[in-house]
Amino acid sequence: MATTRCASSLRRNSPTFRDGYFCAPLFALMRLRHLFAPLLFLLSLSVLAQRYSVSGYVTDSATGEALIGASVFIEEIGKGVGTNNYGYYSATLPQGEYTLVVKYIGYADLRRKVDLTADRKVNLKLRTTVQVMQAVEVKSDRTKSDLESTDMGRMDVDVTKLQTLPALLGEVDILKTIQYLPGVQSNGEGNSGFYVRGGGPDQNLILLDEATVYNASHLFGFFSVFNADAVKDIELIKGGMPAYYGGRTSSVLAITMKDGNDQEFHGEGGIGLISSRLTLEGPIVKERSSFIVSARRTYVDVLAKPFINPESTFAGSGYYFYDINAKANYRLSDKDRFFLSGYFGRDVFDLNGNQPGSPKFKIPWGNATVSGRWNHVFGPKLFLNTTAIISDYKFSFAGGQDQFGFKLSSGIRDYGLKVDFNLYPNIRHNVRYGFQYTYHIYTPSTVAVNSGDVPFNIDTPSKLNAHEAAVYVQDDFDITDRLRLNAGLRFSWFAHVGPFHEYITDAAGNTTGTRDYGSGDIIAQYSGIEPRVALRYSLDKKNSLKASVNRNMQYVHLASFSSIGLPTDTWIPSGKNVKPQEAVQYALGWFRDLKERKYEGSIEVYYKDMANQIEYAEGASPQDGGNANYDFALVFGKGWSYGAELFLKRRLGKLTGWVGYTWSKTERKFPDVDNGEPFPSRWDRRNDISVVAGYELNDRWTFGGTFVYSTGQAATLPVQRYFIEGRLVSRFTQRNGFRMAAYHRMDLAATLKNKPTKQVTDPTTGEVSTVQRKYRSSWTFSIYNIYNRKNPYFYYFDASGNTGTVGLTIQAKQVSLFSILPSVTWNFEF
Amino acid sequence: MKLLPFILLLLLLSSCEKDITVDLPVYPVELVVDGHIQPGERPFVLITRTQGYFDPTDLNSIANSFVNDATVTISTNGEVWTLQQVCGSALDPATLQDAGDATGIDPALLAFANFCVYTTTGAQQLGVIGQTYRLDISAEGKTLSAVSTIPNPVPLDSVWFQLALQVPGDDSLGFAWARISDPDTMGNGYRWAAQRINHRATGQMKDPFYISPLGSAYNDKYINGLTFEFNEARGRQFFGNNPEDENEEQGYFKVGDTIAVKAYSIGTKEYDFYSSYDTNVGSLGDLFSTPANVKSNITGGLGIWAGRGVYLDTIICLP
Repeated sequence: MATTRCASSLRRNSPTFRDGYFCAPLFALMRLRHLFAPLLFLLSLSVLAQRYSVSGYVTDSATGEALIGASVFIEEIGKGVGTNNYGYYSATLPQGEYTLVVKYIGYADLRRKVDLTADRKVNLKLRTTVQVMQAVEVKSDRTKSDLESTDMGRMDVDVTKLQTLPALLGEVDILKTIQYLPGVQSNGEGNSGFYVRGGGPDQNLILLDEATVYNASHLFGFFSVFNADAVKDIELIKGGMPAYYGGRTSSVLAITMKDGNDQEFHGEGGIGLISSRLTLEGPIVKERSSFIVSARRTYVDVLAKPFINPESTFAGSGYYFYDINAKANYRLSDKDRFFLSGYFGRDVFDLNGNQPGSPKFKIPWGNATVSGRWNHVFGPKLFLNTTAIISDYKFSFAGGQDQFGFKLSSGIRDYGLKVDFNLYPNIRHNVRYGFQYTYHIYTPSTVAVNSGDVPFNIDTPSKLNAHEAAVYVQDDFDITDRLRLNAGLRFSWFAHVGPFHEYITDAAGNTTGTRDYGSGDIIAQYSGIEPRVALRYSLDKKNSLKASVNRNMQYVHLASFSSIGLPTDTWIPSGKNVKPQEAVQYALGWFRDLKERKYEGSIEVYYKDMANQIEYAEGASPQDGGNANYDFALVFGKGWSYGAELFLKRRLGKLTGWVGYTWSKTERKFPDVDNGEPFPSRWDRRNDISVVAGYELNDRWTFGGTFVYSTGQAATLPVQRYFIEGRLVSRFTQRNGFRMAAYHRMDLAATLKNKPTKQVTDPTTGEVSTVQRKYRSSWTFSIYNIYNRKNPYFYYFDASGNTGTVGLTIQAKQVSLFSILPSVTWNFEF
Repeated sequence: MKLLPFILLLLLLSSCEKDITVDLPVYPVELVVDGHIQPGERPFVLITRTQGYFDPTDLNSIANSFVNDATVTISTNGEVWTLQQVCGSALDPATLQDAGDATGIDPALLAFANFCVYTTTGAQQLGVIGQTYRLDISAEGKTLSAVSTIPNPVPLDSVWFQLALQVPGDDSLGFAWARISDPDTMGNGYRWAAQRINHRATGQMKDPFYISPLGSAYNDKYINGLTFEFNEARGRQFFGNNPEDENEEQGYFKVGDTIAVKAYSIGTKEYDFYSSYDTNVGSLGDLFSTPANVKSNITGGLGIWAGRGVYLDTIICLP
């Protein structure tokens, strides 16, 4: 910022600085702490009258958990603010007496009078509706109205309700649940990857306590890595991504772990068909520090072992996964709080042929993340969160048969730092700015092969190193009572740096030489400006219109050889040949409350343009990757997606749930695929319907049901065949030119809880009173795929018979995974 | 490795499978070439048509897919050879044997089928090591062409049989083994073919033709200049119905077998064809691979025109 601009803007807007002499020392300050620079302008707006701030944390009175996105409404002015990710809120108002009304889903409203004659620190403790059931009428279930916010395509998932929804084999799964939301599509069974508005699974930013999770699935994709017991908050943003988030073009799934109960020790857990889990939490120092540890492990291997014939080739094989979430926090003062959270999960698949000469494999993979955070409150108006992150994903595949051995490994490790300021200059503005930096280390697929003592000469490919950085600023601004603007700007930069061993190839793809880059040398760099704008206009108390435009850059890519997500898929950085992906999304929406907010509905339409999309060239295979650059067989092109999403939710009453419908079309165009003709993307689904319902019969029985329907997956099938050496050769033409049968399924669940209270007779007085039970337990019975639909997992063609005598028969076959599957889970809490 | 997720599914889950009907779009027919030229031998060219995926298949319909009356020429070293169409019983034994390899059909049956190949008749029109051959075909309104060179044949240092010891108590099943020294120049491709030339009780030869098992094409990208040992399983007669292709002997040679071995030396494009052919054939029905066409070196059509160096050897399978 130039001095002249500084002076003029300050003079014009701020009576305090009218003389201008302030500008010089201020400018020095700005040079020192330039991070504040974008905001001084806004700060200067707020000093017109005598104003004071009321700020503090909103927490659960029983557990001390910070409540994210709670609404703090100031009755006198008819405006409200929301709590941030750490439960912090701040409102700056003219001097006076105010009534704060705090609302949060599942909690009773809390009213508090505040006499604002000075800055006030008001921490607000909410009680759950269960705790106050008899005493207070529950007025609201809502956090922030969809009508009021500028958010588009943003969904909050209520974690507490997850357990009452049916789940495959009783495993409550966050990633499966978000697939019921409109605009979010799944790949059916066997894949927890999700597709948002025509984007691929690698275009979703999945964050666990701010740390990126690179492969969010267990068991080749059947379950997600998130243990719902340890999760406090799930936020999905499928469009209109605020400037704070970046690095992915499609969506953000931000998962926040519980902090742990800082009042008393508690535990919960469950025993299911394939796994068990246990969560313990409690205070370390009461009201100051707490911890939570949550672990789960599958025991299919233990259960399956007796059934595997010890004579069989696969005796000694096993499969299991486990994960551990842990978090601790310490409140140093009202101004400072520290968090340390970690996740560690591993899948281990052993295939041990017990006969001489039979193959042996060991395939471990998994994620680990650690994030350390520091919250600091500079003053009532400025909140800082600093996060240091390590994220690690590893995959390895070692095997052997006879004298041959090979090992394939890949992975990615990130070291990151995020500094994020929340500034609340006045009630009309909510400003966020900061920077983010990540150092990526990629291990692309590394192969080692030997025959006896002779190692094959495959070079160890260099690890790939990259810097990724971004600065951003965003302001949520009430321009008028009806018009609200969220405008943000993000500037991102990415550099692939040495050391790097580059193979130089000729036009035919033959390696003609190599070139070495030194440590830190920049091999390729890219940057981008990412504007993010969202507008909300309230037509009346029941209707609002929203519009948003976003540009997103993505510098890392997931290169997949297979048509479904497998742990073998490798993350690669942008580099000399691989340009960053870009997406521009335009969205329009109409939001409406119905029947006194009993229902809410919305219609959103979007158009998304995607550039520099990646696919492997036709016929590429991982074994071609030795002695070649990491981007050896990629082809590039563009894509686009458009669609409409309808959503109707019933929020209140015994029956709650929603119906979502999405119509969309997603295509790609690659010069090297199908002669440059557009083809349907693998993530193209024309129609997608989901219905989710919950019914609370009484305080013991709860029922849940889900139904999904989606257009069949696009697949590439052979159209012709020919014979060479007597073998059938398939000829493919149109990429994804064929549709598999539609996917649909209905699941039901019933949960039986023991009574939440019990009668206690006082031995001295003989008085009978009702108290809360300390130990609570519940049974969840669920039936997956209740009408036993044979949904296609994949198609294949089977050739049988022979040409000589009976003739050859080619039969198309459909493989389905799960037929009707009942399960039962026992959950407990104390 | 591609099968692993499969195995997992079988171990853990109750997957199920059913027959379905798939409506595939109709595409225009293409011509498919399977041709080769080897040192000291006449060129061999077989032309077929693509068929609809679910067209009926028996010996007749395969025979009907052969393209007759094509104009086929080979240009080399300034000469143009016009290839002749030779049919059924008119084929000489060596060409008939080649036709067996190329079709996977017993040559004894081919001799009586409505079946023609294109070859030369002149005594001097034979393959020469290091020579380049351009193939031109004109048939059914289509024009096809391809170019290939006969590489220097790389010999196998030695070949032998070794028990696999994979079935408990077994003392007769094993693999064919070989040692090879790859020359210290890049771009050498190899393909293995083997034929059991001992006879069954019925008097038939165990394999009526040479068979290359899937995955037996190699290039020297990772083995350039190395000397190493490798083994090969027994390829099956794809449409045969031999008991040893269905029981525990599947994929193994057996003590008592005599194996005629052909080690082909081929160029880069020819390797690309055979390697992608193996992948395409082997991934029939495999979800975990992306659908991939075979990489042909034929312009205007499909298939392969290969100059091949050949090394021959024999293994007698002893315990």
